[in-house]
Amino acid sequence: MLRVPLTRAICLTHSSRVLVTASARLQSNIPAKAPEKVEVFIDDQPVMVAPGTTVLQAAAQIGVEIPRFCYHERLAVAGNCRMCLVEVEKSPKPVAACAMPVMKGWRIKTNSEMTRKAREGVMEFLLANHPLDCPICDQGGECDLQDQAMVFGSDRSRFTDIDHAGKRAVEDKDIGPLVKTIMTRCIHCTRCIRFASEIAGVDDFGTTGRGNEMQVGTYVEKLFLTELSGNVIDLCPVGALTNKPYSFSARPWEVRKIDSIDVLDALGSNIVVSTRTGEVLRILPRENEDINEEWLSDKSRFACDGLKRQRLITPMLRKPNGELEAVEWETALIGVAQAVQNAGDKVAAVAGSLVDAEQLIAVKDLLNRLGSELLCTEQKFPTADGTSGTDFRSNYLLNSSIAACEEADLVLLVGTNPRYEAPLLNTRLRKGYVHKEQDIALIGPKVDLSYRYEHLGNSSSIVQDIASGKHPFAQRLKSAKRPLVIVGANALSRSDGKAFLAGLHSFANQLTPEDKNWKVWNVLQTNASQVAALDMGYKAGVEEIVAAGPKVLFLLGADGGAINKDNIPKDCFVVYLGHHGDNGAPLAHAILPGAAYTEKQATYVNTEGRAQQTLVAITPPGMARDDWKIIRALSEVIGTSLPYDNLDEIRDRLEDVAPHLVRYGRLEENNFYAQAAQLAKLQASSLQGDIDVKQRTLADFFMTDSISRASPTMAKCVQAVKKAQATA
Amino acid sequence: MAAKEPVKRVIQQVRPILSLDRDEARRRVLNLYKAWYRTIPFIVDKFDIPKSEEQCKSKLREMFLRHKEVSDVRVIDMLVIKGQMELKECTKQWKQKGHVMNYWQETVEPKPADFLSKFMSGQN
Repeated sequence: MLRVPLTRAICLTHSSRVLVTASARLQSNIPAKAPEKVEVFIDDQPVMVAPGTTVLQAAAQIGVEIPRFCYHERLAVAGNCRMCLVEVEKSPKPVAACAMPVMKGWRIKTNSEMTRKAREGVMEFLLANHPLDCPICDQGGECDLQDQAMVFGSDRSRFTDIDHAGKRAVEDKDIGPLVKTIMTRCIHCTRCIRFASEIAGVDDFGTTGRGNEMQVGTYVEKLFLTELSGNVIDLCPVGALTNKPYSFSARPWEVRKIDSIDVLDALGSNIVVSTRTGEVLRILPRENEDINEEWLSDKSRFACDGLKRQRLITPMLRKPNGELEAVEWETALIGVAQAVQNAGDKVAAVAGSLVDAEQLIAVKDLLNRLGSELLCTEQKFPTADGTSGTDFRSNYLLNSSIAACEEADLVLLVGTNPRYEAPLLNTRLRKGYVHKEQDIALIGPKVDLSYRYEHLGNSSSIVQDIASGKHPFAQRLKSAKRPLVIVGANALSRSDGKAFLAGLHSFANQLTPEDKNWKVWNVLQTNASQVAALDMGYKAGVEEIVAAGPKVLFLLGADGGAINKDNIPKDCFVVYLGHHGDNGAPLAHAILPGAAYTEKQATYVNTEGRAQQTLVAITPPGMARDDWKIIRALSEVIGTSLPYDNLDEIRDRLEDVAPHLVRYGRLEENNFYAQAAQLAKLQASSLQGDIDVKQRTLADFFMTDSISRASPTMAKCVQAVKKAQATA
Repeated sequence: MAAKEPVKRVIQQVRPILSLDRDEARRRVLNLYKAWYRTIPFIVDKFDIPKSEEQCKSKLREMFLRHKEVSDVRVIDMLVIKGQMELKECTKQWKQKGHVMNYWQETVEPKPADFLSKFMSGQN
């Protein structure tokens, strides 16, 4: 099928947008007749396709792949590379397969003499203007031009530079610290331009000049300021746009590629970790239609160099003079065990944002055995007076699922900036906005979401008005067919978060979407560990721990600052268990070095409640160990051994606690919305003040957790963005 | 012809290595044991190992008894052949002191078995 014209992406004037919307709605009222399929023949193989299908898609249906450079299935069709030319019988000229819709009875020849000659011609023209620098090009080995030149190109060249004039050369552009440009290599496929304007929503790229003078660039010298900039590297079929931090470091055939999960936001994007000689070299996205499609945010992609810096590599104990001293595991465990034994049941644990489910369950089991229930997550979630907000899973999940967000017709965002809290959810919303007539409204500070939205204001009284149905937007939500309410986890972690939950949840439940199974109430989490922790019965927020004044406090990678020197008792023995020497580690009396997400096989649950596992790409550095094993070993030293010795056994335990935690890749259904809303209603409280979000601009996006704070690349990004914003 | 088939198959299945039955295999084992037993004084003397004849004899016994469960004649024969090769390497002094001392495996550290020692040593 041809893509719908990008009217909404292109027409940014308001009046024309309304017109488009109105006409589209009119058309949609007429029941569409199922179009008759047409039969075409690809290399004499008959195939039935819907009318409007392009030649290239029809060929793909029977497994014939037509070579292409500019065509990309997630981008609009450009049809400018001409590589996909194929012969159609009785047509005098070859047709561009990516842009030409099939006609009934067409006989398409993808391997005829004419087709092959057309391809050879295209390749020859491309190569005549392409530098022969494959040996020093970073794309070498994963280059579409290289591969296709081998398969479809001519075996000899007519390119002779008898005047020694040199090939066409283009000046390189500086578009930021993440993407390196070698514009001489550009073949003008315009994929990066289309990605920037359609998916990322920044119309910075474009072409200037014509013919041989054509150049892709940003018109004026300008950084490519978006949280998705790394994706143009993957899209670029040649080495014109390459990964700057990764440049000249490895060839694709010498790295080991491990499938894993990203944990730097709560979406759990699927990634491939490339490693060589025991270090992570780069991270690429892995296709998953339900979560990240094939994109990846810049933080997830480029923060991997933070895994090498600021690492905790040996256990440490604080000497009486206040210095931390590196010790052996035995000494460290005995030191911690003594403190725990002296504390009785006054032991507590705080889980940070990067903790995996195995570690969470091990810590919970250990503390419960010691007689303590003081297990909290760093981020708050409204709970109160015996009626916990986390009792029902549907309360704290993105219930409608990430993929379904693009299907909604009216979205209300409350106290969240999805562009920086979950960039790939934002691309879904943008996709809905551009292609599916989605309307979006925001309560919170005015931020740039990369698409047009209705800004309802940032006062929390608006939330109250919507919840009580007084606000005009409440009426629009009621009449919407597939409304969505997405509330940011940070808004719910306010002291009046209860009121958000109570008001909006019951309001969301009153709505009557067209489809009975449509989920209106959604929470956008910001921490990768939060959902698993709440599933397991961790309490949200550290108030309880602060009130109890524990004698031993475990910080499980808790670097968010909820626990600090002032709110824990002076004699409290703090044990920091994590992989980076970040905000939490300086508080600690004992440091137990753990593994980062690329170094362990561990379970994470994303914001929609989907359990996924990371795999071991490299070994933990120095004396660092798998986190749950540290707890397991500690339990033995304390004298109350936990009953699991290996990964299978601890996963059995996970399954006992919550079966969905080991059903990897599956999305569990949630229910009890009415009951959850009723419970929430009991927690009456009032809203005060304005709603704010933590990440307002791109500069706030790059450094949000211990890994990205340790990353030099991310630091460069923040610097570059700040400089660009100061001069703009 | 027809009568030959099953016979052929049986022979194919268990082609003997040396011994035709258990008795013969047993005799070979005992002979090997005796040969070793008689060589022990020579080994202790020539290799200058820090072991007494008694220690060597008990090691010899231990090595033989390690395979006491073996009942397959062919396997017994294989072990006997290997034992003879070892013996020849000793008597001809193709082995050196270290090779002989390897029978006691004093430098081999046992792998950690329980969780805690595995954890401390960093093995999984």
